[in-house]
Amino acid sequence: MDNYMRLKIKAISSNEAFARSAVAAFCVDANPTVDKLADVKTAVSEAVTNSIVHGYNGSGEGEVEIYVERSGNTVHIEVKDCGVGIENIEKARTPFFTTKPDEERSGMGFTVMESFMDSLSVEPNVPRGVVVKMSKNLDGAEKTTE
Amino acid sequence: MKVAHKIANNTLYVSICGELDESCAAPLRVRLDELFDAAGIARVVLDLAGVSFMDSTGIGMLIGRYKVLKAKGIPLLLSSPQTVVDKLLSLSGIYEIMPKIG
Repeated sequence: MDNYMRLKIKAISSNEAFARSAVAAFCVDANPTVDKLADVKTAVSEAVTNSIVHGYNGSGEGEVEIYVERSGNTVHIEVKDCGVGIENIEKARTPFFTTKPDEERSGMGFTVMESFMDSLSVEPNVPRGVVVKMSKNLDGAEKTTE
Repeated sequence: MKVAHKIANNTLYVSICGELDESCAAPLRVRLDELFDAAGIARVVLDLAGVSFMDSTGIGMLIGRYKVLKAKGIPLLLSSPQTVVDKLLSLSGIYEIMPKIG
């Protein structure tokens, strides 16, 4: 592991832009392509939104912790909350599934994370809440060295 | 987010500018629905050229607007998304109900 960062934010939506931008800035040392960096920003935004909207039910209470570790050109990201958790994680990962159909939720959050990152796991946090772990190789060398 | 609009040839053109996430989806929804209430609109074109970021909250908001307009019999079209936004919209399959133009 070459470097890491840890960020703890109040669980309010106005912190989402800061969170994804901070992670993106940290990832610059992994020599990312513009597209891959954009993918990371989107995936982080999805995970943080989930914590705020579902974990804490938009209450504005609680914290979201974001940990990013870089090994070479690969970043491993954890987004963790201590909210209500997810009753059925497998179901929650199904495209278009949402527990808030009346709020114009797309149910695409986990699908986006899975599509935009190389790997994704969703686990219960102990003692409560959710931990989303995802990783991505950001190497853009093949596009910049020739 | 900044929202600008004009009506020409029975088409409502709305351009939105900024980053579309949970923090701005609710006020944007209200603003767009107000604009959709204008009389004499035959279709709506949403210009996304100024949207530099969008996550799935934006998809939910767009599908909601599609439903509002569909109830009025008005088609919704999406125009000029940036590459990063286009990737998300393509993944969602949203272009099947609100085609991309421009």
